[in-house]
Amino acid sequence: MIYLAVFFCGAIVMSFEILGSRVLAPNFGSSVFVWGSLISVFLAGLSAGYYLGGRIADINPSARKLSLMLLVPGILLLTFPAYSGPLSDWIFMKDLGVRLSPLIAATILFLLPSIFLGIVSPYTAKLMICSVHTSGKTIGTLYALSTFGSIIGTLITSFYLITIAGVHMLIMGQGVLLVAIALPLYFMNLQCATPVSSSSK
Amino acid sequence: MAFVFSSTSLVRSETSEKLLFEKNSLYQYISVVEDTVKKERYVRNQKRDYAQGGILVNAPDKLLFEFTQLVFISLAFLDREPKDVLFVGLGAGAMPKYFNKYYPDGMAEIAEIDPDMVSVARKYFFFKENERVKVHAEDGRIFIKRSKKKYDMIFLDAYQNDYIPFHLTTTEFLREVKSKLKEDGVVVSNITSPFRNKLFDSMVMTYREVFPHVYLFKGKKSANFVFVATAGSRKKDRDTIVARAEKVQELKKFDIDLPDIASRYAYSSEYAYEAAKVLTDDFAPVNLYRFQKSGAP
Repeated sequence: MIYLAVFFCGAIVMSFEILGSRVLAPNFGSSVFVWGSLISVFLAGLSAGYYLGGRIADINPSARKLSLMLLVPGILLLTFPAYSGPLSDWIFMKDLGVRLSPLIAATILFLLPSIFLGIVSPYTAKLMICSVHTSGKTIGTLYALSTFGSIIGTLITSFYLITIAGVHMLIMGQGVLLVAIALPLYFMNLQCATPVSSSSK
Repeated sequence: MAFVFSSTSLVRSETSEKLLFEKNSLYQYISVVEDTVKKERYVRNQKRDYAQGGILVNAPDKLLFEFTQLVFISLAFLDREPKDVLFVGLGAGAMPKYFNKYYPDGMAEIAEIDPDMVSVARKYFFFKENERVKVHAEDGRIFIKRSKKKYDMIFLDAYQNDYIPFHLTTTEFLREVKSKLKEDGVVVSNITSPFRNKLFDSMVMTYREVFPHVYLFKGKKSANFVFVATAGSRKKDRDTIVARAEKVQELKKFDIDLPDIASRYAYSSEYAYEAAKVLTDDFAPVNLYRFQKSGAP
């Protein structure tokens, strides 16, 4: 189940990023500044998420807490069509210039969900390591699954999904998927209490 | 025999083409090539494929490509002289140059996303800016959204390699265009359709969704269609357009044959395929539709 969550979160990050270019184009165009903004905001979100995820993982990590942290981007994506249009229009009206406008828009729309999706990697690593003792192998598998998920997410979205369904529908679908992953995790009895850790000397 | 034939013609075509310039710009690969036999110069985005624009080296003011002539049929949809016009996509700059030559009092603005394309048009295609020809290095859609002005004519000819960027094909975009047209304004769009594909069907339906009247003009030598749409609600029939084209031709003494183009008049209902999907900001699979055959009977 954890492996599945890691795979799908990897897929959703990249799929959401591809769709993000379509979300930004109507108000900010498809200039090189838009692509630059989009990619850097996602990477900023992920790196912040990795850092935060690592810190949070040291405080009694559990599948239930992971579930709650997946619900945040789940709900953000599920309700994305309701706020993305008005927010984009509002930033467009502010007219902050060809570089700053798309950067601010990308930050407002994509930073928060990508932070939470970034948290997943270190958090699941910690969860798995304290239940299994082959930590190198576990971390390696999680990295591989996450990136493999990203590849699949990128390809499926750009080659296929975008040609059969609307952008808003797809983003909401990702939200549904995140919630669907979060629910079983909530009822999973997987946790590691910090005092158990043997490396606390 | 056929093999020998084709191989010699291949050699000949390669030796007669001279590369004058190439660059990977922020948005695309740009090359300027001159055919030394035909004395023609082209700008291309791919190694060897359709040109984005071009000129006759000895007559740079002439409109070399058919679509650049076709779009001027928009003049026959306006009952007066155009004053303010906008071109989205510069290419080799042939159309704004031509407009400026015949309407020196008109104001031509151009929205071109790629600054390198502007330099190429200046350096290799005799394109010049002046107080009546102004280029804005900006995404066409954003330029239109931000524009405070209303235009008599808007020419849409923005291509990325061989496709129109999706955000310049949708109902939302066309509504923005319509809102920047004067009451009797005209929008004219160059649509490449090598065969009747799904994209063509969807473009027809998308234009019809937004504009009260849409007209089509088909290329004879090329696979181009020109869509003309009017902001006004009065339908113009073939005779009206032919008559107006003849009058404008007589007045302006163009070196293109406007009445001949007018004679290809088709009202868009002839091409309407109701089952085709209207393109929106939410759903516009333009890259795929280009390669899918039309479902129209």
